[in-house]
Amino acid sequence: MQRNRLDKGGRIDRSRPLNFQFNGRKLQGFAGDTLASALLANGISVVGRSFKLHRPRGIIGFGAEEPNAIMQIGKGDMTLPNLRATQVELYEGMIASSTKGWPSVNFDVSAINDVFSRVFSAGFYYKTFMRPKGLWHFYEKLIRRSAGFGKAPTAADPDSYEHRNAHCDVLVAGAGPAGLMAAMAAASSGARVVIADEQNELGGSLLCGDYQIDGKPANKWVEQTAAALGGMDNVTVLPRSTVFGYYDHNFLAVVERCTDHLSEAQRTGVRQRVWRVRAKEVVLAQGAFERPLVFCNNDRPGVMMASAVSAYLHRYAVSPGRRAVLFTNNDSAYQTAIDLARSGTTVVAIVDSRPHAAASELAASAGIPVLAGHVVVDVSGRRRVTGVRVGKWSGDTADTVDGTISIRCDLVAMSGGWSPAVHLHSHAGGRNEWNDELHCFVPGASTQANRSAGSGNGVWSLSGCLREGLAAGDEAASRCGLKPAGLDVPQAEDPVPMSIEPLWRVPAEKDPDRCSKQFIDFQNDTSVADVRLAVREGYRNVEHVKRYTALGFGTDQGKLGNINGMAVLAECLGKSIPEVGTTTFRPAYTPVTFGAIAGENVGDLFEPVRTTAIHEWHEAAGAPFEVVGQWHRPWYFPRDGEDLHAAVARECLATRNSLGIMDASTLGKIDVRGPDAVEFLERIYTHNIAKMKVGRCAYGVMLGEDGMLMDDGVMARLGEQHFYLTTTTGGAANVLSWLELWLQTEWPELDVYLTSLTDHFSTIAVVGPNSRHLLQKVGCNIDLKKESFPFMSVKDAELGGVPVQLFRVSFSGELAFEVNIDSNHALQMWEMLMYAGGEFDITPYGTETMHVLRAEKGFVIIGQDTDGSVTPQDAGMHWLLSKDKDFLGRRSLSRPDCVRDNRKQLVGLLSGDGKTVLPEGAQLVIDPNAEKPVPMCGHVSSSYFSACLGHPIALALLEGGRSKKGETLHAALVDGSTVEVQIVSAIFYDPKSERQNV
Amino acid sequence: MKLGHINLRGDAADTAFVNGAASGLGQALPLDRNTISRSRHRIYWLGPNEWQVVTDLDNVAELVDKLRRALAGRHVSINDVSGGYTVFHLSGSDVPELLAKGCTLDLHPSVFQMGACAQSGLAKAIVLLGYIEETPVYEIIVRRSFSEYLLRWLRQN
Repeated sequence: MQRNRLDKGGRIDRSRPLNFQFNGRKLQGFAGDTLASALLANGISVVGRSFKLHRPRGIIGFGAEEPNAIMQIGKGDMTLPNLRATQVELYEGMIASSTKGWPSVNFDVSAINDVFSRVFSAGFYYKTFMRPKGLWHFYEKLIRRSAGFGKAPTAADPDSYEHRNAHCDVLVAGAGPAGLMAAMAAASSGARVVIADEQNELGGSLLCGDYQIDGKPANKWVEQTAAALGGMDNVTVLPRSTVFGYYDHNFLAVVERCTDHLSEAQRTGVRQRVWRVRAKEVVLAQGAFERPLVFCNNDRPGVMMASAVSAYLHRYAVSPGRRAVLFTNNDSAYQTAIDLARSGTTVVAIVDSRPHAAASELAASAGIPVLAGHVVVDVSGRRRVTGVRVGKWSGDTADTVDGTISIRCDLVAMSGGWSPAVHLHSHAGGRNEWNDELHCFVPGASTQANRSAGSGNGVWSLSGCLREGLAAGDEAASRCGLKPAGLDVPQAEDPVPMSIEPLWRVPAEKDPDRCSKQFIDFQNDTSVADVRLAVREGYRNVEHVKRYTALGFGTDQGKLGNINGMAVLAECLGKSIPEVGTTTFRPAYTPVTFGAIAGENVGDLFEPVRTTAIHEWHEAAGAPFEVVGQWHRPWYFPRDGEDLHAAVARECLATRNSLGIMDASTLGKIDVRGPDAVEFLERIYTHNIAKMKVGRCAYGVMLGEDGMLMDDGVMARLGEQHFYLTTTTGGAANVLSWLELWLQTEWPELDVYLTSLTDHFSTIAVVGPNSRHLLQKVGCNIDLKKESFPFMSVKDAELGGVPVQLFRVSFSGELAFEVNIDSNHALQMWEMLMYAGGEFDITPYGTETMHVLRAEKGFVIIGQDTDGSVTPQDAGMHWLLSKDKDFLGRRSLSRPDCVRDNRKQLVGLLSGDGKTVLPEGAQLVIDPNAEKPVPMCGHVSSSYFSACLGHPIALALLEGGRSKKGETLHAALVDGSTVEVQIVSAIFYDPKSERQNV
Repeated sequence: MKLGHINLRGDAADTAFVNGAASGLGQALPLDRNTISRSRHRIYWLGPNEWQVVTDLDNVAELVDKLRRALAGRHVSINDVSGGYTVFHLSGSDVPELLAKGCTLDLHPSVFQMGACAQSGLAKAIVLLGYIEETPVYEIIVRRSFSEYLLRWLRQN
């Protein structure tokens, strides 16, 4: 039974009843309801428990400001926690539950906290759980369970989300009277307009009252305007879409809730979409929030915002009570009183803190008594308001006032005035200014191309909102270079004037420091007493007070309470409100789901997978893949159920004894040409470029400006002014950017062009003593003998009749060739080599074997054996540093820290037991039994079992390592034990490098 | 038709280079930023000193040769990069909407007009995007290593 539902009116569809469950109770509402309006229609008073004191709480607002009605919606994987019931559209079959209250909202065991509320003052957790030291982890679990909000689903999100970029001339945030008018004005000028509103239908405040525009009900005007906007090609209308962030360069983020309003069975497609809007101009028309009044027990279920009461009456045909008391310091609540009276609700009295109110005549004509110069001092009732006590107040700042009049009621509608929603203006970087007449912060000067209009700009009248919206739309269009269409301002009447006298805190009946029930922030249970305590304890800055008292935290981010809190703080500090200022407004305006933020960048699309031209062969061969940067590289090629170790051992032996083949296509490749190519590369690489002969290759490293190893690779001189560089797989893009950065910004005088060839060329490494035989077998048009094609040289050639670039380089220490080939032909070349290699037992190998082979030779991997703090000297590359030229990073190498002798240096390690493969990352210690913490002197950077040598090998970075060869250390293992290790040369295999020179 | 690609670098302010490139290619280079010259080849403007020639793969070797001869002795860079790219053609009036899901550029036909091109991101890949036919047809040129990822993204959307 919807006992609070009015017989007629509202924007609900009574022909479409909707069944839903709340905390296990089966209830019914109508299409057009929010969960909040449906709960109120059903007479549900208690919808949650407060954060700290677990006091019963009811619905207080009707939109984004709602602090109490925080719900878990939906079940299983689709559940969404912490939604505001006031913003959740009801759908058939909805399952909703309060996020607070255990075992139930009506009986919450932690409500005992309320009895001891004086103990739970500001900073309670900081003060109480600090000792004994170490027990915080124990407390934390209990506190989190007691204090937490909703529960996140544990399974993967079954829904899909997406992002969409949009560009427009004018973005309008908010579709109330000002926003609609601004959008019409801008759109009529021909501007590309996006208008977004968080609600399911356009109209904003016009949906919540009896307004007339151009002599007709305002709803008609809204319908016509919405239809007109919807019919224009240059306008994108986004209902159910919250502009939640305003960033630099007029970039705004909007979250559109596409299917959340549908029953779970009806949902198809994208659930939520984030619009990334780049707007030339922005009109902010988000409206304003009504402020609560701060009095004792102002959090009792049945105490509501006056504007919310009007909204429930008009929009949802719900009367939240039978006997209402209005409490206000301004005129706007008089409209609510009239709305209530017209709906048949008894309005017992309007309690107005002002001695004289112009609007009281309106009340008189409606037969509503007004208690001017009075305030509500206290509220009775626990799970529902049963009455108020009212006292006479002269307006002084005395700390106490007596409540002499008791009034029975079940609804208190309060209004403490209005605060413009300055959030987006503030996100954009704009300051806010205190207005002494309006008693609120209004947007100050804009810092980006935006302007505020309507009640969001402190304009309370409907006629004013329409006028200002039109002007804002015209101005925005003009700024885009368009001619305003010259629309007329629609005519509107403003029955209730707006004047206000500030009332930031109602004097309590007793010492306010002892009254912890004058709530400022409902969600966080922050009271006047908490703010006063914070000040007594020395807090002065509003940001500090916020963090100490939790004022303004939570899902509502203080949309109701913040300004009152700042005013109370100002009073305590003896300052003005603008002197105290506001806390920082940050995105998101209201919470945004992680799903929407991730968009479609999940699963297969989480990160691009880059594959080589030979990838399909590797897949067919059953190779597992290793992720290297964005590349998927074959890791090893198992045969007959081999594991990694067996496969790698076989691949290593086959390569060293006969012939291996590897896809090295992921190497970065850069073509460098120009008359200044030599000079350019001299500055980039540490070795001498000018001395390189055409047709020869060199191993080169480049350093950061800090002198640390940045990237390495083989580079070749293809012509007098033509070079070819290779980079590490992961470093390719960064190196190209780095080179272009220097060319374009620091050395523009150098005539050099760079072209990336990474994807154009595939690279096939043919490695092992039989590699030359293989190339000869498939047919090579050049002489491959050592004398005519020596180690570290490059030639254009044909292989099996296909043009290739042939390099005699080696990353394994074996006789080896690298074949660069147009990627369009790479797979064929690979297959041809595999076929021809049969007689040599050609063995494809992956990254793991490559790592073992290079570690046996002591070749470093940048990023594995180096970590951005390793110099060439540390890595044993003194020989690479030219003494007769300058290069990037050179000066840094002579810094005192770079030349001290106990820097970590690259060494080889052998396990003392001859069998333990050290874990990579293992710390090295001199004395494992030393007093803890045991001093560490280095770490293992690479470690493998070498099948060729028959024992494990490791590379390590060790303090002063080069002078410690032959010494013994200990490496810490994962289980806490240690193993003895011997320091040796980093070159384990073929130390004279004879094998690659044959 | 299999497409081939040539990366050409040279100074647009150097008339001799511009003329030499035109004679080598048999088609003038586009000198307006972010535009495509469409005739025998599609020549994309990539920067003040860089172009990408998209043409029949069978033409590439000969074109490279002609360019090298026409521009001999000048500071230029001519690279056959045919192996490096995969090309997608998307047609239909909804293409800008589709691309807007992954591309931050304003692709409204009034802004990104017929004959326009840009190097930009599409989803998490870097692409060269061109509006190449009125009907409309959009050309997306992506590094071949990203092609499977991009195809997956396009299909999902």
